[in-house]
Amino acid sequence: MDTNTAAVLKDVNGSENNGEAISRRNFAKKLLGVSALSSLGISLIPEAALAWLDGSFAQRDDLADAVKVLVKTYSDTKPYPHKFNDGLVKMHLRNLDFAVRKGIWKERAEHYVWTLGVVVDRHIKKGIEMFGKDAFLWGNFERTSCSYQLYERIEIKDGERCVPCPFKPILDQIQKGMGTYQITWEDVHNKWCIPVWSGFAANAGVKVEVEPGEICRIKVV
Amino acid sequence: MSDRERRDFTKQTLKWGGALTLIAAFNPARLVFGAGPGGPPGKAPGGAPGGAAGGPPAGMGNPLKMMQENQFLQRDDLDDALKSMYMTYDSSRPYPHKFNDVISKGQLECLEFIVSKGLEKEYVEHYVTTMKPILQRIKQQVAKEGPDKALYGMFEGTTCSYQLMERIDVKQGERSFPCPYGPALERCKQWLPERFVMKWEEVCNKMCIPTWQGFANEMEVKITITPGETCVVKLA
Repeated sequence: MDTNTAAVLKDVNGSENNGEAISRRNFAKKLLGVSALSSLGISLIPEAALAWLDGSFAQRDDLADAVKVLVKTYSDTKPYPHKFNDGLVKMHLRNLDFAVRKGIWKERAEHYVWTLGVVVDRHIKKGIEMFGKDAFLWGNFERTSCSYQLYERIEIKDGERCVPCPFKPILDQIQKGMGTYQITWEDVHNKWCIPVWSGFAANAGVKVEVEPGEICRIKVV
Repeated sequence: MSDRERRDFTKQTLKWGGALTLIAAFNPARLVFGAGPGGPPGKAPGGAPGGAAGGPPAGMGNPLKMMQENQFLQRDDLDDALKSMYMTYDSSRPYPHKFNDVISKGQLECLEFIVSKGLEKEYVEHYVTTMKPILQRIKQQVAKEGPDKALYGMFEGTTCSYQLMERIDVKQGERSFPCPYGPALERCKQWLPERFVMKWEEVCNKMCIPTWQGFANEMEVKITITPGETCVVKLA
């Protein structure tokens, strides 16, 4: 449910509480109007409406490879239960460990923010103008494969997202199994996640507060 | 019943009885589930995921035990995985997203940065050095089971590869797979203009080839690498 639809439903509930009757026709009319406006709004963000959940799943002819990898991953339980984000998390941790050892973690985070700044300029800024600050979180979390392929799940609240930290369990495993990384979990927060999100936010003209933890909370302020 | 009818009856009985015996012996259900609880274990071709490589999965022969010991079926976090997969494959524009979308793009973004700093050699050395404990373990398996184990450890045996490559074609002494970086780099250049100057050949020569050669050296095996849209890594 988008925020506009939610607002309409809130209005409806409010009316009921006040003892006012709302006819089905009026409700449907209002809902259709808001939906049309929402659709129009989204379609005005170039390509945003096209690229995400476009109903093409059933037409894909490459699902067999994906399913095989998924089964292989979730059958791989030793020395720990592997998940779909395992390789991606390890890549991020390895790259961060290298950057921290070399003392270039800040530049590394800035490069990442600069590289993806194109997307922020193209989609997210316009989204914020049209829908408010929550569009920043929408664009950085549930809307992008960079997040939904990294976080096992994303809890969505207005102005806030919560994600289980994917880095801690795997960093623990790496240190237990190999012990070859120098970074700590705090380095992951302070030298990767927080600078990257803050950088994206600055590009988009908003501010974020990050509460790192096993469940990481990101709020737009 | 005349003698002739009795003879025909016996003939028919033997014919159909024999056929039923053959069907029972090669019954697909029997092949999958074995002879049932308490009976001798059946054998499935190839083995199921979670079982020992190449052999039948644990608990084979007892359907209930087989299900209980199948690692995939015991997972309680498949819903998150399926949702992520659905979100990925339901996004087909501007290009069809795949499960390895972010890992390949993320790796390219980092390599672009590393190459711009001229640190690619140290970057590869760091990768090989931090992997040493695992490479030493694989080296011991190579000594026991042969050099193909090195390819197994580098490719289908690790999430870092099988979650990166869409599929891995496994042959004795050889692995081949579609290069995930070539298409990803093209998309990065198209959709993130002026952010990527690196060429595909640099990905091969500055990351993939030296990394795999570094792994192979640690395991004391020799490999040859033929990069391309389908990349081939062979024991030399």
